Amino acid sequence: MAPTPVPVEVGEIDTDDVTVPDRPWIVLVWNDPINLMSYVTFVFQKIFGYSLEKATALMLDVHQKGRAVVSSGAREKAEIDVFRLHEHGLWATMQQDD
Amino acid sequence: MARRRTFIPPVERVRDGFAFNIGNEERQLVARLLNELSQLLVGESGDPRLVRIFPPAYHLADDADADAEYQRLMREELVASRLSGITTVNEALQASGPVSEETMVAFVQAINGLRLVLGTILDVSEDQDPDDIDDDDPQAGEYHLYNFLSWLLDWAVRALGEPA
Repeated sequence: MAPTPVPVEVGEIDTDDVTVPDRPWIVLVWNDPINLMSYVTFVFQKIFGYSLEKATALMLDVHQKGRAVVSSGAREKAEIDVFRLHEHGLWATMQQDD
Repeated sequence: MARRRTFIPPVERVRDGFAFNIGNEERQLVARLLNELSQLLVGESGDPRLVRIFPPAYHLADDADADAEYQRLMREELVASRLSGITTVNEALQASGPVSEETMVAFVQAINGLRLVLGTILDVSEDQDPDDIDDDDPQAGEYHLYNFLSWLLDWAVRALGEPA
């Protein structure tokens, strides 16, 4: 007769040590009828340190396609970027990349 | 003989920073509008004129809780940041000398804040040219103000983009 298996105590799994590969967050800027194109370009340069060329291309993307991804990364970083864009009056939001 | 300049921009980069080449009347107008904005910022939080000043951070419906948390934590900081910028600009407008780049950045943020509120009140849309407004329009005054601020902001951004 086989002995009754005795349940082994495993204790609680410490989830803090488990790193789940997280999908990055993306920061979007949406087109709006109020913000000036020159101002939006300036804000992208100032906040992200982008070149005039890159900032202009992003601004045109926002203007023509309705929105553009302006930065991405960890959630905390994305939230700081969104806050800084809000400080400058841009219509910025964030979402987890899919 | 001194060379006469035909056009002096309202804001320009000078040797020690940036200069405002606007008269007292315009300085007072901007200061008055900024004071009104300050009042608005510390007033009723649900004021519809402020929707563009405090946009949502998380736009997906699934993230509604995260957005509520963001608004709870960051709105106050956003107000503080705007108020401090307005104070800087009001001080600069009262002085006569050139201002620093930092002050000029506060200036473009503040002027843009005014445009966001005014543009919201006027419900400015993509397919409408605020320049093309009839003087009989009941909101003609607000449109002129909006256009004045756009003109001022555009020159300030231009000055910031010039090499030091």
